[in-house]
Amino acid sequence: MKVQVRLAAEPFAPDLELADFVGCLATEGAVVSFVGLVRPHSKDGTPLTSLFLDHHPRLTERSLGEIGAAAATEFDVSAIRIVHRCGKMQPGDPIVFAAAAATHRRPAFEAADYLMDRLKTDALFWKREEDDTGSRWIEPTGADHADRARWERASTCPE
Amino acid sequence: MKILFFGRLSERLGREMEIDLPADVRNVADLRRLLAGLRPEAQSDFLGPSLRACVGDSIVGDDAPVSGASEIAFFPPLSGG
Repeated sequence: MKVQVRLAAEPFAPDLELADFVGCLATEGAVVSFVGLVRPHSKDGTPLTSLFLDHHPRLTERSLGEIGAAAATEFDVSAIRIVHRCGKMQPGDPIVFAAAAATHRRPAFEAADYLMDRLKTDALFWKREEDDTGSRWIEPTGADHADRARWERASTCPE
Repeated sequence: MKILFFGRLSERLGREMEIDLPADVRNVADLRRLLAGLRPEAQSDFLGPSLRACVGDSIVGDDAPVSGASEIAFFPPLSGG
């Protein structure tokens, strides 16, 4: 099992991440990847000028590793990669790349879905939206927590 | 002792502050009360339930000891990636 995580202080290229991830594989038959981009508007529609992600110098990358390792344990996958930005970003910038590889597609889809739900609630980041009038700190939404909870139900109620 | 702040707290208080730990500050709850007095602009954060303390790279409860720690971080609610 290969779990690779990276906290990126500078912009990264999701296409190159995917090509490199696929290039590291051997016998897998399925790769599912997700790319998150900085949205140009806040939830209320205000145009954003930038987004800032505050992070802890050690524990943020560790939290990415724990989420990747949990996905590797939970699903029948053979490789996981997470690249996550920190610092200041512009609308349209890639903020996260999450990928899972497996022999067959279903576990790869599920692992990628799981990675993103965990990253949205458990990754050690503090997000600040910035616009022409100022800035505000953002906290996870009820929908984010509901998405995260889907996996708790799945793991406590096996078929 | 170095105290670290993140997220909205760092915007108000700066990233870090140094304090000399008084002998009667033994656990996280004592430290919260001390910091609430030192930085009244964040009093409700230090005394409220949403701020989590991190000692030795682990999230800890209010009864966790703080003597001997070189660095303690306070985390507002995470906003996720």
